[in-house]
Parts: sequence; structure tokens; C-alpha cells
Amino acid sequence: MGTETIIPALDPMPLPAPFWLFKLLLVLTFFLHIVVMNFMFGGGLIAAFSGLFRKKNESDQRLFKDIVPKIPSLLAATITLGIAPLLFVQVLYGQFFYTATIIMAWPWFLVLVLLMFAYYGFYIVALKQDKTSRGIGWVMLISIFFIFLVGFFYSSNFTLMESPATWSAKYFQDRSGWNLNGSESTLIPRFLHFLVASVAVGSFLIILTGLFRWKQEADYARFLIVRGGQWFMYATMTQFVVGIWFLISLPREAMLQFMGGNMLATISLLIGVVGGLAAIFIMSNGIRNDDPRTPAWWAMGITGVVVIFMAMMRDVLRTAYLSPYFKASELPVKTQLDVLILFLVLFVIGILVWALMIKRYFFTPSAKITE
Amino acid sequence: MNYPIWDLTFGGGLLIAVVAVTHVFVSHFAIGGGLFLVLTEKKAYREDDTALLAWLKRHTKFFVLVTVVFGAISGVGIWFTIGLIHPAGTSSLIHAYVWGWAIEWIFFFLEITAALLYLYGWNKLDRKTHLWLGWIYFIAAYLSMVIINGIITFMLTPGNWLKTYNFWQGFFNPTYFPSLLLRTAFALALAGIYALLTGTVQKDPELKGKIVKWSARWIIPAFIVIPFFAWWYIGNVPEIVWESARGKVPTATRYANYILVFSILTFLFSLATLIKPKKVPFVFSLLIFLTAYGTMGSFEFIREAIRKPYIIYDYMYANSIYKNQFPGDGGLSIQNIQQEGLLAVSKWTAHKEITNDNQLEAGEDIFLLQCQSCHTVDGYRGIRKVLVQNQWSQAGISRRISSLDKMFHAVMPPFAGSAAEREALAAYLAALAPLDPDAVETAETEISGEAVFEFHCSDCHEYAADDTLFTGMAKYDVAQISYLMTRLDSLDEEMPPFEGTDAERETLARWIAEQFK
Ligand code: HEC
Ligand code: HEC
Repeated sequence: MGTETIIPALDPMPLPAPFWLFKLLLVLTFFLHIVVMNFMFGGGLIAAFSGLFRKKNESDQRLFKDIVPKIPSLLAATITLGIAPLLFVQVLYGQFFYTATIIMAWPWFLVLVLLMFAYYGFYIVALKQDKTSRGIGWVMLISIFFIFLVGFFYSSNFTLMESPATWSAKYFQDRSGWNLNGSESTLIPRFLHFLVASVAVGSFLIILTGLFRWKQEADYARFLIVRGGQWFMYATMTQFVVGIWFLISLPREAMLQFMGGNMLATISLLIGVVGGLAAIFIMSNGIRNDDPRTPAWWAMGITGVVVIFMAMMRDVLRTAYLSPYFKASELPVKTQLDVLILFLVLFVIGILVWALMIKRYFFTPSAKITE
Repeated sequence: MNYPIWDLTFGGGLLIAVVAVTHVFVSHFAIGGGLFLVLTEKKAYREDDTALLAWLKRHTKFFVLVTVVFGAISGVGIWFTIGLIHPAGTSSLIHAYVWGWAIEWIFFFLEITAALLYLYGWNKLDRKTHLWLGWIYFIAAYLSMVIINGIITFMLTPGNWLKTYNFWQGFFNPTYFPSLLLRTAFALALAGIYALLTGTVQKDPELKGKIVKWSARWIIPAFIVIPFFAWWYIGNVPEIVWESARGKVPTATRYANYILVFSILTFLFSLATLIKPKKVPFVFSLLIFLTAYGTMGSFEFIREAIRKPYIIYDYMYANSIYKNQFPGDGGLSIQNIQQEGLLAVSKWTAHKEITNDNQLEAGEDIFLLQCQSCHTVDGYRGIRKVLVQNQWSQAGISRRISSLDKMFHAVMPPFAGSAAEREALAAYLAALAPLDPDAVETAETEISGEAVFEFHCSDCHEYAADDTLFTGMAKYDVAQISYLMTRLDSLDEEMPPFEGTDAERETLARWIAEQFK
């Protein structure tokens, strides 16, 4: 059966806004989602590790206690911010997306179950008064493991959606939805790439906690920054190995995109490599200082820029993968202007109200008194 | 057809129902409960009641753990699930209403943030700021329903959208406002119903009594207005659609009966809490919780059942086939499939052509593509059971397939496929339930004309003076009717041959001749 003939026909309804707007919103909201996800997953993983395997070090135990209460809200934010890119990806790539999810229906459905368990697990840890018991550390680690599986299923789904050539063999072998994308050679390096990045960016949660504590207890704050910085450096070094593996596992056509074939992709990769090296260098020097604050900010800033470019790179890669079959940029458009304007207006109001809530919560006088 | 089909042996419809009903029961609580939190907080301040306030703090934790965690994930869960089971329908909803979903997402974002800050703010903020967060929460949560309600009601009564494809015309459709009020009332009732759960475990009888009385004030008025809103809602559902729940379609009718029973019970039980508010046991609040669950669940089932055979009314059938042909439909309209053949038009089928060797396998494919969105073989709405019970011959099954859309008040889409495909499907179904040679003899017991009518004709004919069966037979006498029944399949090409015994045929003929005289 030809691959082309199996790809579902386009939805007959046109795009209700120009392609670029959806693309922009997709990449932007994906970026926000991935950063918060990294904080939740990477930060939670580091905390679980410190709590379970650094029993002797009192500061590590404190790190655990301070970080775990933040994880449930970060998961809430991850899910909420994840909804938007999931919506926009269905608008632009629905025929690929739905098909992939159906082929691996059970793992995809299990995402919900795993999320639910992880979520309640995080809350158990966060709300438990006595955080020193061994059991609590394990609950944390197991919940993190559930998130790990969710991430793996996501990677499977998004690689599967980009390789229609493998669909029919999988589906007709098992129509009951018990498939993953194991045959995909990029799956493992790609997933590891995200995983390691998660730890690197997740370390920022520890570092940021340290930065906000500086005024109160400089010693402990410095410990947090150093500990976070170490995780960041080792993770980013590992990333160089994983990243190269990922790159060479790509099909030739796609790989060449990053080697000059596509300007944006090539520059993004370059920025990634140079930015990664610079951040490691700055961080490793910084954490030897008595006051590592400025270098920490720099390393985080550079990494933030790298993540933006990585999000774009991912998009270029998807476009490259799908280009033999489909170009989302050529979809017919019929803008629902009135609704779009309403959305934009409400979006701005929403951000204002949100910021006001945060401001009132953290900065009202009464709030400061009790702190 | 366009998409592969997830072969779920226990039934995709069941999975959707389970996820959706639980979500709805929590998400309405998330709305009403928001108002409950702020108004109860105000009440506690006004009455300077520290015990009530202390309970409310615990209740807030319960509220957040239920709505923010379970509510949010099950909400995403519905979306995941319908995407897996009705990808084409989901795609339509997303394309027509992306901006609706996106707006809903803004409110959702505010809602989640406000809920968490409200919870953590209990010990941190001054009263005014805390209440302000509570109000933001409630308003955002309510507005998210204002949006979702438009899209859900659109599916049942798309109104003018069918002609104009205009966002607002589909959004503010005929059932929009009645449904919004109905859901609002239900959300308020649920606020009280959930409060009873945490209220009745309180040890202090004064506090418990107070919470119970206060909760009842949320439930009882809501249940008094619900029938009026329901009546208004029904008035805006097209007559022919609502008839499904008035006896024409068994499932819809069953749930219409359940909802009456459940809502009356919820109402009476809630009234009963007022007899001795201080002594209401937890199990009793659990009972109210369950009857309310039954009420909400039945409502969702009725809505789903009367919308059948469509997923979006008059636009797309539940099995993803478009009702009408239009440019860009990918050839997936009934009309085109009837011309071209289902297997030819489908992308995701193992068999492209029917040969003598693969007839049964092809039949299975056709069942999967066209029937499995509502049926299974042995699970939810299982077809084997029906076939074993009815003992239809393959020819009878084949005729029934051609008039699927005449059965049960048109709850099913018309069959879309070539004659060979219909035969293949009939062969596959017949093979699921081989005829039982003893069946004929057991049927020889005492029979009434009415029973024979019920068994053999009522799938497609109604017991009504103007039904074609009775008008068609009116001019004939018993002998003629009896004779005509031997050749029903030549009276109308969509009618199956009569498959009862000769005795049954005689009885039925006599009975028909006597009706509506
Ligand atoms: C839109 C959903 C839907 C689709 C699609 C559908 N059905 Fe049905 N079918 C129903 C419902 C609902 C009932 C039963 C009515 C009730 O009990 O409420 C039913 C009843 C039946 C019955 C009769 C059962 C009895 O008790 O007499 C048969 C036979 C049947 N369907 C066969 C099929 C076949 C064959 C297909 C595929 C070509 C199909 N259906 C497609 C919804 C559907
Ligand atoms: C599977 C569906 C189905 C079943 C079961 C069925 N019919 Fe019909 N019948 C039809 C259809 C379709 C027509 C065409 C008219 C219409 O749309 O009502 C029809 C028409 C008729 C007519 C009028 C014919 C004419 O042209 O005037 C008679 C009489 C009739 N049926 C008798 C019966 C009897 C008696 C039974 C039970 C033994 C029965 N039918 C069972 C589908 C069915």
C-alpha cells in the first residue's frame, strides 16, 4: 500500500487564520510548555535524587524539602501550557497527528492515567509534613518515572506522526492500539536529547530558588546555585554526545538541513553548540566564585536563547520530514477575523489579569508580613 | 475510512462515555464550587465563624485536588479520547472552533492559576485579596463554560452554521442558552453536593448542621429550576430528534426515564437532610452524590443518544461519513461511497476488493469501518447477541442493512457501500451467529399478533395508523395480507423477507387486518 494513499485527506474546512499565525503560536506555546516541563521534570528528578541518595548531606535534604512543594504547580502549568501547542498542532497537522495517536492508541491513552498518578504522587510528597521518610523519596522518584514514560510516549507519537511510511505495517499488524515507535532509529536519541535537556534546564529551578534566597541565607543559597550548576554542566556535556548521536541518526535529507541545507536550521544548530559551550564555561567558572549570581544569570539567559532556537529547529525538522507529503503553508485559509480579534483582545486581558494575580499574591503588603 | 480505526473490543463509545461523564461531573463542580467558596468565605467572615472558616480551608484543598488535578486531566482526557475514536469529528470541531478553544484556554489558564493561589493564599493573604482571587477563579471558570457550551450544543443543533459555516451562528445555536442555564443550575447544585461530602465528616455537630443547611440551600433551589430549563432545552431540540427519547429509541428513552428517577431522588434526599441536619451521616451524602452522578450521567447519555446517528448534526455521521457531498469532502459522503464502494474510498483497509476467498475478512473490515463507532461484536452494544436472538437469515440481514436508517427512528446512518459490500457484511454478520436449527420449533408456542409484529416488523415500522405497513395493508383482507407477507421483499426493496413460521404469519395477518378499523 502506497504511503501517499494512506495519509488521510485534509479536513475540508480551511484554516481560520493565516498559517504563520498558527505557526508562531505553535512554536511559542511549545517553547513555554517545554521550559516549564523541564522545570517540573528536571527539577523534580534532581530533588528526588538529592533526597534519596544524598542522605548524609543536610543541605541536599533541605533542597529536597524546598523543591518538592513547587512540583505540583509546575505540573499544572506544564499541562495547561501543553494544551495550546497540542491544539495548534492539530490545526496544522491533524491528519498526521490523529493517525499516529490511533496507531499507538493505548500508550497515548495511558498518558492520562500516568499523569494522574504522577500528579497525585507529587501532591502526596508536597503536602506531607515529614519529608525525611524514605518512602516519600520513593513516591517522588516513581512519580517522576511516570512523567518519564509520558515523555517517552510523546516522543514516540511525534516521531511516528512524522514517518507515514511506517504506518501501515504497524497498524495492520495490530489494530488494537498496542504499538510504539520502536522501529524508528531516531526515537531513542531524540528522547534522550529531550531528557538530558530537561535535566539541564530543570537545574535552573534549583538555581533560581538559590538566587531568590540569597538575601536571607547566602550559604544555603550558594549551595543551591552550585548544586544546580553542577547538574547543569554535566547534563549539558552529556548533551554533546547525545546531540551528535541524534544528528547522525537522522535520515540524510534531514541531517543535511542542519549542515547548510536550511539557513535557519544551520544557524540554530550553531547557536545551540556555541551557546551550550559558552554556558558550560561560564557556569563552571561562576560556581567557583563566592558570589556565583551573575554568571548563573548569564548561563541561564544563554540557555534560554538556545532553547528558543531548539524549538524552531524542531519545527524545521518536522517540516523537512513531512515535506514529501504535505506543506502546511499551502493550506487554504479563510480567516475568522472577528473571532480572531476577540481572541487577541482576551489574550492580552488574560495576561494582564494573570500578572495582576501574581503581583497581588506575591507583593501585597500582607503577603510580605507573613513571610 | 479516512483514518485508521482503533479496534477496541469493549467499545470506543463506552470509553468516551466513562471519561466524559466523570469529567463533566467534576468540571461542573469546578464552576459551581468556585462561587460556593467565595460566598461561604464571605458568610464565615460576616458571621465571624472560625469553625466554618477552618472547614472551608480544608474544603478548598479537597476542591483543588479534585478539580485542578482530576478535572483538568480528565478534560484533556476527553479530547484525547474523542481524537482516538472520532478523529474526523474532532478535526472538524477543531477547524471550525480553534479560536473558541483558544479562548477557552485563556480562561482555563486563569482558572488554574487562581485556584492554586486561592488555596495557597489562605494563610498568606489579607481577606480582600483572597476573596478577589476567589472571584477571578469563579469568573474565569464560568467563562470557560460559556465557551465550551457553545461548541457542545453546536454538535446537537448546529442551526444555521450548516448553511453559512459561520462561527457565531453555530455557537449561539438554538440550544445554547437553555443548555447554559441548565448547566449553570447543575453546577450550583453540585457545589452543595460536594460540600455535603466533606461537611458530613465534621465531628462538631453545630458546624456540621450549619454546613448541611447551607449546602441544601445550593442544591434544592437548583433542582427546582432544573425542570424548567430542561423543558426549555427540549423545546429547542427539533421535535423529531427529541422523539428518540420518547420511546422511539430504546437507549435514549431508558436514560430519559433514569434522569427523572435520579433527579427526583436527589431532590428528595437533599430535602431529607434538612430534617436533622446535625445528624446526616456521611453515607447519606454519598448517596446524594451518586444519585446526582446518575442525573448528570443520564443527561449526557441522552444528549449523545438523541444526536445519533450524527456526531455533528446533519453534517457528519458518527462513523465519520459526511451526510452530503461537497467539494473537499475527500469522497467521504454517503452518496459518493454508495457509488464508488466503501473499500475503494477508504484509506485504511486491509482489503481493497472483495473476492470469493476474502468475503468474510472484507466483511469484518466493513463492520470495523462503518459500524464499530457505535457497535462491537461482543462488548458495548454488541451485535452478536442481537443476531443470536433474532435468528435472521443472511438474506434478512442483508435487507436490514439496506434499511438501517429506517430502523429505530433513524438512529443509524444509511449503509454506505456497494451491493457486494453489503453482501460481504451480511455474510460476516451471519457467520457471527450461525442459525440454530431448533429455533423454529421453540417458536411454535402460544403467539399473539402483536408479539409477532414487535419481533419482525417494529424495527422499521411503527404501531401507528399512518405507518406504511398499516396503510399499505388496509385495502386487503386476511388471506391477501398473509399472501403478501410471503413476498415482503418484493414490496419494497429495502424490506427483509418475512422469516417467521407459517403460523406466525397467519396470526400476524389476522392481527393486522383488525388494527385501526
Ligand atoms: C450512529 C451509531 C450507529 C452506527 C454507525 C450503527 N449503528 Fe446499529 N444501532 C445503533 C443503535 C443506537 C442501535 C439500537 C437502538 C437502541 O437500542 O437504542 C442499533 C441497533 C442495531 C441493530 C438492531 C438491534 C436490534 O435489537 O434489533 C442492528 C442489526 C444494527 N444496529 C446493525 C448495524 C450495522 C450492521 C451497522 C454498520 C453498517 C450499524 N448498525 C451501524 C447505532 C448505530
Ligand atoms: C428492515 C426494515 C423493515 C422491516 C423489519 C420491515 N419492513 Fe416493511 N417496509 C420497510 C421499508 C423501508 C418500507 C418502505 C416504505 C417506508 O419507508 O416505510 C416498508 C414498507 C412496507 C409496507 C408497505 C408496502 C407498500 O408499498 O405499500 C408493508 C405492507 C410492510 N412494509 C409490511 C411489513 C411487515 C408486515 C413487516 C414485519 C413482518 C415489515 N414490513 C418489516 C422496511 C421494513
